[in-house]
Amino acid sequence: MRNLIIFLRRYFNFFLFLLLEVICIVLVFRNNNFQKTAYLNSANNVSGKLYDRYNNVQYYFHLKATNDSLVSENARLHNLLRSSFDSMLTSNTVVTDTIRLYSDDTLHRVVGTQMRRYLYREAKVINNSVNRPVNYITIHRGRLQGIRPNMGVISPTGVVGMVRSVSDNYAVVLSMLAKSSGSATSNFGVSARLIKGKETGTVYWDGANPGYAIMRDVPRSVKVQKGDTVITSGFSSLFPENVPVGYIDEISVSDKSSTAYSIRIKLATNFYNLQYVYVIDNLLKDEQQQLEDSTYSLTK
Amino acid sequence: MSILLRNIIRFVLLLLLQVFVLNKILVHQLVSLEMYMLFILLLPFNIPRPAVMLLGLLMGLSLDMFMNTMGIHAFACVFMAYLRPFIINILSPQGGFETNMKTPSMISMGVSQFLTYISILVVLHHMALFTLEVFGFGNFGYLLLKIVFSSIASLVLIVLYELLFFSKK
Repeated sequence: MRNLIIFLRRYFNFFLFLLLEVICIVLVFRNNNFQKTAYLNSANNVSGKLYDRYNNVQYYFHLKATNDSLVSENARLHNLLRSSFDSMLTSNTVVTDTIRLYSDDTLHRVVGTQMRRYLYREAKVINNSVNRPVNYITIHRGRLQGIRPNMGVISPTGVVGMVRSVSDNYAVVLSMLAKSSGSATSNFGVSARLIKGKETGTVYWDGANPGYAIMRDVPRSVKVQKGDTVITSGFSSLFPENVPVGYIDEISVSDKSSTAYSIRIKLATNFYNLQYVYVIDNLLKDEQQQLEDSTYSLTK
Repeated sequence: MSILLRNIIRFVLLLLLQVFVLNKILVHQLVSLEMYMLFILLLPFNIPRPAVMLLGLLMGLSLDMFMNTMGIHAFACVFMAYLRPFIINILSPQGGFETNMKTPSMISMGVSQFLTYISILVVLHHMALFTLEVFGFGNFGYLLLKIVFSSIASLVLIVLYELLFFSKK
């Protein structure tokens, strides 16, 4: 016993070192689990507030670019407003969460009613990085404002990422710029589709350049052209259909026997000057998830 | 100014510098500017070894909190803090550095000794950091280039810092 104590005292430093390193490693791997609440990350009170302050200053330098993007988005949305269309009937009934579809002919009959499926919440970006293998974005919107983990996040121009953890007033978003060869759980691929041929594939970031990503799984039989638009497929419950992901920049085949293209796309979102994002609440997500899960369990 | 106060101020300043200045500078995907570990490098010679490691953990975790990289910087920082006394022992002349000056610097250690000291530890730190960050040797060339370029960048920053704050003494 005495020898043991002497042994421990003699190598105390080494054991302390091992203990501390084990703590760190445990933290690293625990952090890789999705769907956890925020304790020690940039969503907590201290760092969240500091980033908020910093952003207040930094924000002024981006006002012009931010305004431009918001104005162009406003214009686009105005075009979608019902008041921008010439309608024959003016009805005063307001149905909050449904939209009525009218037939195109002169009769203007009601042909259907659609339920709201996606709810958009705007959020201010208070911290953002692009030069890490796995990048995160901190936004000033949290649990109290209805943000929950695993919601999709888009910018006015395209896909951004998904919510990873939330605190009361802040949330941390896993950016699309998360390198896929890292630890398996932090991979992030967006289910995407070519706007022309309707073929679906997956878009990953390869860790090289924050402006570009790789699209895989597009068969070689498809005709693809430089400049074609890539949009979200709507298969995953994260993003609605038709959100731009990027534009084809370079088409290559990884090896000759491969049946799929490896396409380099220019990302639609400019991650360098992200100021505002939209967090998407998919109101039918649980239903889709339940159905899919029960089907999988049937086949097992 | 007392040694304790000076180190507390250095801790806060380096943390803020790292989070709000260096992390916002984009040089290249291969070059990430890291300077926060200078806090560990500049701790006094005679500080006990467990204290160095615990301070390393504290510094690493504080930075991890801001960067959402839970544990990665803490791991590298503790690793470096553990090896620091060994490197100092190897480099110290007969009788050690403790007698003349209390903090490692170009004056107390001599320019070449100090440069060796910081380059060895910075490279070790970067190796631990990027290996854990990239996770795996799948892309070994990338990892190696990143370690080399980031170490050079960090060393330049540290030398600049030293020249700025310690040239007059």
